[in-house]
Amino acid sequence: MENATIAADALTEVQHQRLAALQDTLLPASADGTLPSAREIDFPAYLREQAPEFRAELIRILDRLDGGFPDLALERRVELVREFSQSDAPAFRRLLFRVYDSYYQDDRVRLAIGARPGPPFPGGHSIPAGDLSSLEAVKARGKGYRR
Amino acid sequence: MAEMAASPNNDPVDVLIIGAGASGAAIAWSLTETRMRILCLEQGDWMSSSHYPTTRKNWEAQQFGAFHVDPNVRGRDTDYPVNVTDSPIDVLNFNAVGGSTINYAAHFPRLHPSDFRVRSLDGVADDWPVTYDDLEPYFVQNDRIMGVSGLAGDPMYPPKQPPLPPLPIGRVGEVVAAGFDRLGWHWWPSDAAILSQPYEGRDRCLNLNTCMTGCSQGAKGSTDITYWPEAIRSGIELRTRCRVREVTVNEHGMADGAIYYDADGRECFQKAEVVIMACNGVGTPRILLNSRSPQFPDGLANRSGLVGKNLMFHPVALATGVFEERLDTHMGPNGCCILSKEFYETDPERGFVRGYNMQVTRGSGGPLATAMRGLANGDIPWGPGHHEKFRRRFDRTVQCLAVCEDLPEECNRVTLDPDLKDSNGIPAPKVTYRLSENSRKMLAHGLERGKEVMRAAGAVEIIETPLLRPAGWHLLGTARMGSDPERSVVNSWGRSHDVKNLFIVDGSIFVTAGGVNPTSTIQALALYIGDRIKANLANLFDD
Repeated sequence: MENATIAADALTEVQHQRLAALQDTLLPASADGTLPSAREIDFPAYLREQAPEFRAELIRILDRLDGGFPDLALERRVELVREFSQSDAPAFRRLLFRVYDSYYQDDRVRLAIGARPGPPFPGGHSIPAGDLSSLEAVKARGKGYRR
Repeated sequence: MAEMAASPNNDPVDVLIIGAGASGAAIAWSLTETRMRILCLEQGDWMSSSHYPTTRKNWEAQQFGAFHVDPNVRGRDTDYPVNVTDSPIDVLNFNAVGGSTINYAAHFPRLHPSDFRVRSLDGVADDWPVTYDDLEPYFVQNDRIMGVSGLAGDPMYPPKQPPLPPLPIGRVGEVVAAGFDRLGWHWWPSDAAILSQPYEGRDRCLNLNTCMTGCSQGAKGSTDITYWPEAIRSGIELRTRCRVREVTVNEHGMADGAIYYDADGRECFQKAEVVIMACNGVGTPRILLNSRSPQFPDGLANRSGLVGKNLMFHPVALATGVFEERLDTHMGPNGCCILSKEFYETDPERGFVRGYNMQVTRGSGGPLATAMRGLANGDIPWGPGHHEKFRRRFDRTVQCLAVCEDLPEECNRVTLDPDLKDSNGIPAPKVTYRLSENSRKMLAHGLERGKEVMRAAGAVEIIETPLLRPAGWHLLGTARMGSDPERSVVNSWGRSHDVKNLFIVDGSIFVTAGGVNPTSTIQALALYIGDRIKANLANLFDD
């Protein structure tokens, strides 16, 4: 089953490990434990369903990472990713966009930040009408336009 | 024309409208009662509400891709590129039935009475050949058709009564309104072409906060769901995926049709008795400048040399307030909350003429947009510090835009790019634009006042954007109205001075820009021109 997944994602086991470490570097779990690490997001599934065009670039990025990257401490991984972000800013930005997008679609994440899971339509939102009573004072200032 | 492929139904028509956006839809609807044969050519598609991003989990990501407001980023095959390398402001639009009403915020103020009389009142630019009072009945008619929500009684306007009650201003509106109140400044709920109640078979706004990627609910008044259905029921033909290359002229120098590319890329010719341009302030001069002939070697209707010149945007300065409390800013219409006209009219003591609208909007939007904009601003990092900073921003940022009046200057212009072309090989428009000293002073003033109101409202942090680059929604002035053929392109009812059967009805014909979003005025003008055409049908082409 694991091999089948690897084949479908076109990621090797090593690449999977690097991806998880990379996700965790970009968005680690929050200190208070309310927000998960991005490594808990099924990024290969996201790629398959929503961003297949990014897969080749992702593989290139993963293959650029040092072989020991997954085993490094977070601080060291941050340093290495920062170097990558400075050496190839466009590629880094595309990667970050995809990691953010997959993360902030996740129902657990959305609930934790106070956003309703799923797309906004058709449920929509309710917002209060708001207090308009101070407009009486605005009106009392009189006509404010010129002809 | 013999070598051109035959296109379906390309029999001659009485009226050919080019562009199916805000103004093209309005004038099509207006002319239905003439019973003339009317055809509209639109380069884009019909949009479907079920295909808008809001129905899918990746709804937020699409605003950075297929539904981006910038055609150069969006890059749909129905878009054309725009060279903005010589402009500090990017051109934004959408190309579809409905045009940019598909992805506009639907903030729907009218120009003010003084906006039509800037020369008389302030000694700058030119007065319009029409007045607010001329357009007033058409504002009312347009509000009814588009479905405008708002609150009567704003002392900054002559009396007006929006057909629907105002949208909820929510926590955002309450908090910022309190700031305006503390400063003693004007504020008012925004007029919006968004339904606060069910209306004319359309349902009310669901506060999706996705106005700028298309409204799945159909509560936002885009012309594909307002004007067009009625116009088509009345017999007008609308042909999509037809990209016009040029308007042609006969031996008498009259427009006689248009050459366009159909959905299969075939070059076609459509003959017409009257041609109406409705392609916005960049698209219209692009086509006119590309319509060169022995009679018009510098482009059609361009004997004044003014086609493409006097381009006006609304330069925008932005004060983003960060609040400690949650303000529900990822809910509700993006761009329509409250506004202030405190600094709209000229005050010489400010050091500039004319003024600006303060438009309060709902900040960064959803979580992905919050994270990406925070990254761009450098205030939400990736990595271990992300969550803490994100929490301080998400649902807690409010924007106050100073939407500044730009004055016409001939150096600000649209020309044809010598190299860049669209997918049909038509030259792309090139925008050359610089900010005037007056605009710079106004932007600086607006930014400071925006910061002031955010502080008064309780913002704990303020992010400054002195000039917003992605702000070129409002494309105005490139084929201006006027009575003098040497100083204007069209007359007071949109008819070309040079070509008596060529009309322009979009934002190109604005003489000045005002300091408010122009769609309401663009459409009122189109309806006004429609009535003038109908009133003059018997002698439409006379001097």
